[in-house]
Amino acid sequence: MKVRKRLINNEEEGDINVSPLIDVVFILLIFFIVSATFVTLPGIDVSRPKVQSTSSLKKNSILFALSEKNKIFHAGNQVDLKEISPIISQFNKDGNKPVIIQVDKWADATLLAKMISEAKKFAPKVSLATLKNK
Amino acid sequence: MKKNRLVYKPEQTEINVSPLIDMVFILLIFFIVSTSFVDEVGISSNYKDSNSNVNQDSSPIFFTLSGSGRIISDNSSIDLEGVRQKVKNSSNSQAPSIIIQVKKGARAGLATQVMDQALIAGAKAVKIAAID
Repeated sequence: MKVRKRLINNEEEGDINVSPLIDVVFILLIFFIVSATFVTLPGIDVSRPKVQSTSSLKKNSILFALSEKNKIFHAGNQVDLKEISPIISQFNKDGNKPVIIQVDKWADATLLAKMISEAKKFAPKVSLATLKNK
Repeated sequence: MKKNRLVYKPEQTEINVSPLIDMVFILLIFFIVSTSFVDEVGISSNYKDSNSNVNQDSSPIFFTLSGSGRIISDNSSIDLEGVRQKVKNSSNSQAPSIIIQVKKGARAGLATQVMDQALIAGAKAVKIAAID
């Protein structure tokens, strides 16, 4: 008798309260919406140069990479030097996004100079990504 | 009969939240997957365009990076410390502008380090130019 009563009682109370779950999920959702910047990474790993004066760069930027073998990458694809300025003008229709170049320290500096001058045509600011100074 | 309906109504007004939760979960997963945290540090060479008017009083300081990885200024080879000293000496009156000329074969890492040293020493504008 006792056992049976308890079982029935349990079944009636076994409804999970989902409101805290929804609260947590909403908070996570808002966090990810706010922090989403939608940048496309170049997709290669470079060995960055080590410098002494570094500053934090803007997160919402157009990223390019210059590899050790003097290849230019953007959004996972290899691009040509002449394709840089069309890509930037395409992204910069509304806002003034800066450009970050992830440069490999063993890449050719003349190509870097040409990349910077190409990027300068449409971007307000061109930065070079370096190692974190720590 | 009428009274009975009135009593029945308030019991049915519980909103079903499961579709809402489903939607929120889908949005959450979308944003988790699409978020990429870019946290870059680096240096910026904030130079004006070469067409714009340059202050005539301060002529730019030239550094040349040779293909063999040397820094040449005024026909003599210097090191990174020398770059900083040279920029610092000329920045007493006014922040100078720097032009780094790179020859083919020079490494981008060295060019970046020269830029860095010049910026530490108080250079106003640093420009990299390729010479063939």
